[in-house]
Amino acid sequence: MKKQEQFASVWGSLDLPVIVLAHEGESFRPVYENGAADALRGGDGCLADSLPDEIRNRLLTGSTCPTGEELPLLCHLQGRAYSLVPFMWGDFRVCMLHEVTAYYNENQRILNEAIMANKAKTSFLSEMSHDIRTPMGAIIGMTDIALMQGDIPARVKECLNKIKVASGHMMSLLNEVLDMSRIESGRILLQEEDVDLADLLHEVLTVIRPQADAGGLHFSLKLEQMAEERLRGDSVRLRQIFINLLSNAVKFTPEGGGIDMVLSVTPTGEPNRVMMNLRVRDNGIGMSQEFLQRIFTAFEREEKSTTSKIQGTGLGMAITKNLVELMGGTITVESRLHEGSCFTVEIPFTASPDLEERHRQALAGKRLLLFDDNPEQTQLICSMLERLGIAADVAADAESAVELLNDMSFSDGEYFALLTVEKVKGVEMLLFLPQVRQRMGADFPILLLSENDWSQMEYVYTRAGVDAFIPLPLFRTRLSAGLYAFTDEAKRAVQEAGDGQRWNFRGKRILLAEDNEINREIAIELLGMANLQIETVENGREAVDRFAETSPDYYDMILMDIQMPVMNGLEATRAIRALDCADAQDIPIVAMTANAFVEDVRNSLDAGMNAHIAKPLDMNQVYSTLDFFLGRGGR
Amino acid sequence: MKEYQQQYLKNLEQVTALSATSEDLILDAAAFLRVRQEKHDRIGALVEENTALLRKNLFPLLDDIITASDDDIQSLDEFAAALVPGNRDVMLAYHIHNALIVYARHHALRDMLIRELYNTAMDLFYLDSLINTTDPYRYSWKMLMLFGEAASYIKVYDEIEDPEIRGYIHRSMGNLALGHNAHTQKDGEKKLEVIRRSLQILNDPVYQQKTPSLPWDTYIYKSHQERTTALNYLRRGLASASAVREVMESAEYVWEHNLEASRRRGQPVSTRWHATYYTAQYHCGVLTLRQFLTRLEELYMGRDPSDYSDEGVYCNFFLPAIYANYVQQEDHYRTAKKEVIGHMYRMLLRYVQGVTPDQMTFFFVRNLMNTFISFIEYPDGIQQRDYLLQLVVCRTPEAFIYLQMTACVARILVTRIIADRPELLAGVCGCSDADDVRAAREELAQLAYDCGMFHNIGQLNFMRMTSMAGRHWFKEEQEVFQYHVKIGAKILKRCESTRRFASAAEGHHFYYDTLGGYPQDYDPREHDDQVMVDIVGIAAYFVRLLDNTIDYTKKPLTMEEALEKVKEKSGTRFSPQLVSIFCETENELRDYLKDGKLKACELALKYLKNEEAEN
Repeated sequence: MKKQEQFASVWGSLDLPVIVLAHEGESFRPVYENGAADALRGGDGCLADSLPDEIRNRLLTGSTCPTGEELPLLCHLQGRAYSLVPFMWGDFRVCMLHEVTAYYNENQRILNEAIMANKAKTSFLSEMSHDIRTPMGAIIGMTDIALMQGDIPARVKECLNKIKVASGHMMSLLNEVLDMSRIESGRILLQEEDVDLADLLHEVLTVIRPQADAGGLHFSLKLEQMAEERLRGDSVRLRQIFINLLSNAVKFTPEGGGIDMVLSVTPTGEPNRVMMNLRVRDNGIGMSQEFLQRIFTAFEREEKSTTSKIQGTGLGMAITKNLVELMGGTITVESRLHEGSCFTVEIPFTASPDLEERHRQALAGKRLLLFDDNPEQTQLICSMLERLGIAADVAADAESAVELLNDMSFSDGEYFALLTVEKVKGVEMLLFLPQVRQRMGADFPILLLSENDWSQMEYVYTRAGVDAFIPLPLFRTRLSAGLYAFTDEAKRAVQEAGDGQRWNFRGKRILLAEDNEINREIAIELLGMANLQIETVENGREAVDRFAETSPDYYDMILMDIQMPVMNGLEATRAIRALDCADAQDIPIVAMTANAFVEDVRNSLDAGMNAHIAKPLDMNQVYSTLDFFLGRGGR
Repeated sequence: MKEYQQQYLKNLEQVTALSATSEDLILDAAAFLRVRQEKHDRIGALVEENTALLRKNLFPLLDDIITASDDDIQSLDEFAAALVPGNRDVMLAYHIHNALIVYARHHALRDMLIRELYNTAMDLFYLDSLINTTDPYRYSWKMLMLFGEAASYIKVYDEIEDPEIRGYIHRSMGNLALGHNAHTQKDGEKKLEVIRRSLQILNDPVYQQKTPSLPWDTYIYKSHQERTTALNYLRRGLASASAVREVMESAEYVWEHNLEASRRRGQPVSTRWHATYYTAQYHCGVLTLRQFLTRLEELYMGRDPSDYSDEGVYCNFFLPAIYANYVQQEDHYRTAKKEVIGHMYRMLLRYVQGVTPDQMTFFFVRNLMNTFISFIEYPDGIQQRDYLLQLVVCRTPEAFIYLQMTACVARILVTRIIADRPELLAGVCGCSDADDVRAAREELAQLAYDCGMFHNIGQLNFMRMTSMAGRHWFKEEQEVFQYHVKIGAKILKRCESTRRFASAAEGHHFYYDTLGGYPQDYDPREHDDQVMVDIVGIAAYFVRLLDNTIDYTKKPLTMEEALEKVKEKSGTRFSPQLVSIFCETENELRDYLKDGKLKACELALKYLKNEEAEN
């Protein structure tokens, strides 16, 4: 029997379209198609040639899919969906086409629904984020404005500072839910920037200390070797790791307990690479061995009577572990029920370029008087000072401090400054420091080291003669910056910057596109303090029109909200960049939005913006961005 | 000087005169009390007048010192200078000098600044002498700061033309040593270092040629004199060989200087410098302890027991104290010299009994107090308890009346507690329960009396402040006065016969609720006999309300009024239980107060007249 007859006897009567292919070298060629296949083709040639290229190639080459997996081959012919099922029949390759139109359509409908639902969820979270962030922005911004007013009663100032901290914390709670959704969808991206551990720790402690105090907990922080204090990494996420671990310890440690935090940065042996080690130990309620296995699983919380009143999403540790691992680090936990827990995090980092060199040069060769009766701390401070090229004479009591001042006054030398802790045994510092101030004169820097909140002490200590404050635990960068500020070089720089006012953009005009009235008010108030001229519009369309109708170089910069009615900020930016104006391509456009995630930043830049400022507005960030575009680095 | 300043000084003199006890008054207790009250009233009026003068005239000026006229500054300078001699009002002088520093700084008046820095530091030195046995560091750093700043102008010596100001620079440099008590090795070394530096400059012919009019020899002598005070440092066995040599060199210098001066005057070298020289010789190994003690004995035997001049006071007061101090260095001598010590103490008692009431000045009393820092008590010898009573308390009728009344009131309260709530006294005198307390009734009553009698012994150190302030106190004075509880406790703790009263001395101003009072480091939990401290606290407060011998501007309250005041403090300053019981003793108190003060006065006068008296 001829092959064609053989094929017809087997496949010819089938209602399903069938194609038979034979080997031809490394590939196949069609040698038979049954009647159903002819009917489907509806014309000359063969059905195999009518198939979409991708399907036909895979049929002819015999490959299934690039990964080798047996995935269904789907194609559309004559408005219907078919599933191609190839199999070997002796030396031939047979391909049967099953019509799956109804099944395909149903699946497609479900898929579309799922996609829509996911988009809706993402959109909802994003909307929620924006909707909560906007009023939060108002709260934080208004608080900033209130804090900048002179003559605020101390108690009001204290309340405002607390509002500022609390509202920041509220933001972080919101972000926790958003973060988990991003982690789950694999969309979380780390942003690499310079991270100042001193700043980071200060921010962390601002949140944690009051929590620990409120819970009646003893909180101790120890810094061990700090080979580097500035690292390249994602400061927001790193702060999140710190706060999650510490908040967790606070939550699960009963009143009277203690939390010990130990931080170190050690060299790895590789050039410029360091390992950050963070250990948070508490003597709280601890965890069962069984729960320890699930501690890092999302939404897991150990159910026991002692935890039932503790609020939380159960996401903190899962987020923390994911973030640590995203950074290439590890997190481990040891815990015993009723005895406490100890979390250890190790994350490798690249060290940031050293910014201290300028400070070192200005400070080298100076000598200061260190007033501190804690030998361990004194040793640490002296080693930091030594690294900055500063010599220190140490006094542990008032008599010794005065003797050293006297001895120095009899010699040809002079002290550059007095660096003093807040408490020295047997010394009433608020009586001692004014005497030093009187003796040494108004220009002699007196710097106070304290682990307490400066805003709580500022009134009293500035009146006692203190010029500046350096927080404890002490970081070298803080110490050098604190001392550098009193060098002649730094004083000159401040003077040159303009009559002592740090930020001054007099003569510059910006266009502010912002739909929210309160946010506009805040921005006008804050920016006005830096002497900027501000014109406002309420949506993207107005921004485009206003820019188009003004003469070139009328505006020095545009601050653009992203979410606005009529036309959003991204569209407006694209429209401005597309304008046929002299400066349409050059005008700096800075996004000003509560959408502060990495992808939002990327969207802004893709739309043609030059930079991105997150809301709530951090005025230092705003001013330094403005300074970059309007000042030295700008147009 | 301004008129108000002259008036202030005049009033001060009147206060001092009124505070003295005249001999003719001690014959009749009733007359004594009557005149005493009149004096108190008069002093109270003067205090109010002086305070008003300061409020109206001085403080507004000090508040706005920057804009003061030259005339004002001149008068302030003179006024402050007049306040210092004889410790008239050093604290006020300190405030004025401080203000003058501010003025001088503001107007960049360098010479004036140097002078006022020196003056202010010297004011502090006088204040420091009141409390340095208890807190040697309260003022030392301030003194060092002020003297140090004044001395630092040595760097611009040539720019300063006025020889007097140059003199202040040298004196400040030398006086830096006053800021070092040499209680520790480090402080001792520092003291010698600053003296060395000062002497180096003083002996430098360049400086001497620059300002030939300055009394260089006096400066050098004073520096050596100050270096010999570092014997205190040697006495503690802390000094190095080089330090000992330096002190010895200065002792030799001072000795030679005094020999020469005595030759010129045709008088013997004073006993003080003999003793100092021998002490230096002992510490430098020239004399053995035995030889040294013998030399001191020889000096002592050569004294005039009827001499009440400075020299006599030194021989009769201080020499026994120095001798006792060294006798205690070796147990052997403590035993071997028992008779000598006993003799010295008996002679001292006789010497003090020979003091007339008007000689019993605050300075005299303070010197007496200082002798107790080295008192040696033998079980069968003179007891510190008796000695303190007869030597100090009984010589100052003002103090005696108050203490004796407090003792009697404390005894009344304890007696009632024993009767009604004996369990409250468990823990005192080894009593563990109510039965023990009842069995120890006599002992407990006597203890309450003694605690009342001795609780305020430290206040005698501040008689100048309490009886002759001449104005309302400054806050600083209040704080300084609070040291009396520490000074008293320190003396009482030293000897077996008085140790049991030390808690009452230290804690009688501490609040029951622990939220107020002083001293701040007092912890009631560390005192088994705290209830006795509380009892004395109530009694002392109550008596002070009836007869305030510290603040004469406060009028005496009636017993009922005083009881109300005590009640107001229930639960805060005083234990509610004790206040409740105390108020129940109203009848006993009324009985006692009918003639309690008079009897106390009679007793005081008997003692003063050296008659035997019974408590």
